[in-house]
Amino acid sequence: MSLPHAFDADDSPERPKVLLVDDDEVTLMLTAVALSERGFEIVEANSGEQALRMLADWTPDIMVLDAVMPGLDGFATCQALRGLSGFENMPVLMLTGLDDEASITRAYQVGATDFFVKSNQWSLLSGRLRYLLRSSRTRLELERSKSKLARAQDLARMGSFDWRKPLAASFGAGPFAASAGSLSLAPEALRVFGYGPQDSVTLRQLIRLVPMPQRRGLTRVLNGVQTQSTVLAIDVPVNLPDGRGRVLHVEAEPEFNEHGHAVGYTGIVQDVTDRRVAEDRIRHLANFDALTGLPNRRQLIWRTERALDHARRLGHRLSMLLIDLDRFKVINDTLGHAAGDELLVEVARRLRSCVRHSDQVMDTALESAGLRSHRTLEAVGRLGGDEFIALLPEVVDEDDADRVAGRILEAMREPVWVGGQECFVTASVGISMYPNDGLSVADLMRNADVAMYSVKNTGRNAAAIYSPMLAGRGREKLELESALHKAIERNELVLHYQPKIDVRSARMVGAEALMRWQRGSTLVAPADFIPLAEETGLIVPLSEWALREAARQAKIWAVNFGFADSIAVNLPNRMFERSDLVETIHQSVSAYGVPHRAIQLEITETGLMKDLQNVIPCLHRLTEIGVEISIDDFGTGYSSLAYLTTLPISELKIDRSFVRDLGITPQSSAVVTAIIALARSLGLRVIAEGVENMRQMEVLHRLGCTVMQGFLFSRPIPPDDLELWLQQTVLPRKAPWIVQAGVDYIDPLRGTGARRP
Amino acid sequence: MTDPTLLPAQQARTPQTQAAHHLLDAHALASLAQLDPTGANQLLPRVLSAYRSSLARLMGQLVAARSPFQPDTVKLVTHTLKSSSASVGALGLSSLCGQAEQALRDARLDDLPAILDTLEIEAGHVAAAVHQLLVPS
Repeated sequence: MSLPHAFDADDSPERPKVLLVDDDEVTLMLTAVALSERGFEIVEANSGEQALRMLADWTPDIMVLDAVMPGLDGFATCQALRGLSGFENMPVLMLTGLDDEASITRAYQVGATDFFVKSNQWSLLSGRLRYLLRSSRTRLELERSKSKLARAQDLARMGSFDWRKPLAASFGAGPFAASAGSLSLAPEALRVFGYGPQDSVTLRQLIRLVPMPQRRGLTRVLNGVQTQSTVLAIDVPVNLPDGRGRVLHVEAEPEFNEHGHAVGYTGIVQDVTDRRVAEDRIRHLANFDALTGLPNRRQLIWRTERALDHARRLGHRLSMLLIDLDRFKVINDTLGHAAGDELLVEVARRLRSCVRHSDQVMDTALESAGLRSHRTLEAVGRLGGDEFIALLPEVVDEDDADRVAGRILEAMREPVWVGGQECFVTASVGISMYPNDGLSVADLMRNADVAMYSVKNTGRNAAAIYSPMLAGRGREKLELESALHKAIERNELVLHYQPKIDVRSARMVGAEALMRWQRGSTLVAPADFIPLAEETGLIVPLSEWALREAARQAKIWAVNFGFADSIAVNLPNRMFERSDLVETIHQSVSAYGVPHRAIQLEITETGLMKDLQNVIPCLHRLTEIGVEISIDDFGTGYSSLAYLTTLPISELKIDRSFVRDLGITPQSSAVVTAIIALARSLGLRVIAEGVENMRQMEVLHRLGCTVMQGFLFSRPIPPDDLELWLQQTVLPRKAPWIVQAGVDYIDPLRGTGARRP
Repeated sequence: MTDPTLLPAQQARTPQTQAAHHLLDAHALASLAQLDPTGANQLLPRVLSAYRSSLARLMGQLVAARSPFQPDTVKLVTHTLKSSSASVGALGLSSLCGQAEQALRDARLDDLPAILDTLEIEAGHVAAAVHQLLVPS
């Protein structure tokens, strides 16, 4: 190691200050002159007493003391000097006689730095003084650096130690066996172990600070490291003498003698408790869900990977259960997020009890901890939102997993108290198995998800095991979803129209627009994509498109044949919750210059009643601007009749299920009669849908419902076809229903005020 | 300053410079002169006059310390005189001081009076030689 500057003459002060003490005036004078000549600044004192007096307010760089002086001699002066604060380390050169060995020994005893034989060899004296100044400076630097190191170590709660190997004779009980070798600890290291700087401590005492379960492991590691002469780096838990529990990091390197034999270790010990606590906290935050305290997605993936390793090696099965709460959003929306969180915490607690949940995984190499160690991977974790996963690292078969799923569903059965009220929550559980349903975490998760969705689709609150059939359906659905996204921009959506007929006059009094998806060469029926659109939220842009398209068609028909009725557009109830619905309709009709009443809206009875409070304000505004509302599928929901009287609606549409059975079961005509009576008394129009034959038409007519739609008159058809149908069927009065209805026949187009196309 | 007690001995010597050269080592004096090569600092006269007064003082102390015998003072005087004499080149005197010091250290008190007698005589010669050197020629 090089010590920069330490021995550079250049580094010394320009004229080092020398205090020269001698009772002999001649020697004093000559030495002073000779040293001044050689670059020193000399201050003279002719006695020890005088020298000490001078030092009260002045400090030289070095002192040259004559040993033999009357009064306080050189030795006594030096001794007194060392007792003065600040002069403990000042270099002192004692001048003695050549033949005076006793003086030389005494000089060192009283703390002189060096001695020099009096002579008139001034160059030698000067050289010695320079050397002493340099070494003193070097020593000072070392002292400073040592104290800096000590302070740094203290701040870092660190200290160094040195361990010497025992002599060969005491070898036998293991190199680190009790009292083996000699250990020396720096004061800082002693402090780390909770001892004072004066305490003497043996390795045996230190090892005893380690609590028993870990002590044996530590001894094993120490012996292993020492036998191999490898580097030691280990974190050790200790209980300090005062009882505090700390974690110490010990790091040491072997030391070798000139023959290459290991003679001991030198290293540091550091209190890393705070760091470990912080690291543990970080690890916990990174691996556990803050709300429920369960393992998070990352931790679950890690555990599953470990469990898969194990399952692969030992050839057993593993199962993953994906648990999704049913209608959690409703609870969150109605009771608030705080209640939602409360619910999740309670659910998490219940789920934990359904498996052998371990918060901590035995981190040491799993295989070494025995064959059953992978059991500690078993856990319930939260993927996010209301999705949880139960990982079963080893199952015999699907029934095993199914039993756990059963326990989970059972655990949900008890009501949960949240937000001051009782809530019932159910879950849908999807199960996937290794190796049958996937070899990787991603595959198992995806397939558990597929199974879970199949439960959702078939009524929720149940468990399902994955099967490839489910996956096929899932993939189809994904493809459909992505295609539907593009359908609007690709103009693949079309509206077909089914006329509404007033059979008394045999004329069209309006039309219902029905959405179709022209996907390549196939026409996709609404039942195949509307539910998906509802689920994904695509229903909103779809509905907006339908409104614009219907308005556009109303304009075309108005131009072509004087169409002045309205086109009914089906809207899901969520559209009525949108504050911009009125604006959307306004823009749609304005764009084509048709009146607001050209658009009629149909909402299903179920949809209306599900969200009545939110829908009513919108219905009022729509009615105000002239947009009529029709209740679709009437009779199938659970309408509150009290509400019905106050709702701003114009029309009830008798559900096709009642129409179908007309003339077959007396009950259906009773329902239809009741609906017609209800509508009449509330001042609402009534229309029957799904009319397919003459019998149904006749019964409806007889019961007092004259406006109908159905295959008997026309299927939903493209707009151009509808014009053709009007021209070729209605106007020539060629259809059988016209003959039947002909009693009241006047003019098929008169009602609309339209002219013949 | 001149010590009148030493003057007779000094006057008994033949040529002054020769006496000085005999008693004071030329090399030592030369090396003293080198400390002040130009003589601008008057180093040599200052050192010699300091030595002369020191010698007179110490010899006074030595004579007093012989009767009654004060070994510590004798030791201190001979030790101090030993090195200052060597510095000005009075090697003979320095050596006698060393002998006296050693006899004291070895507790050879019987040898001491003879050494000190010779030392006193030599000191007188040296004082005279120094005086001669200090008198401007």
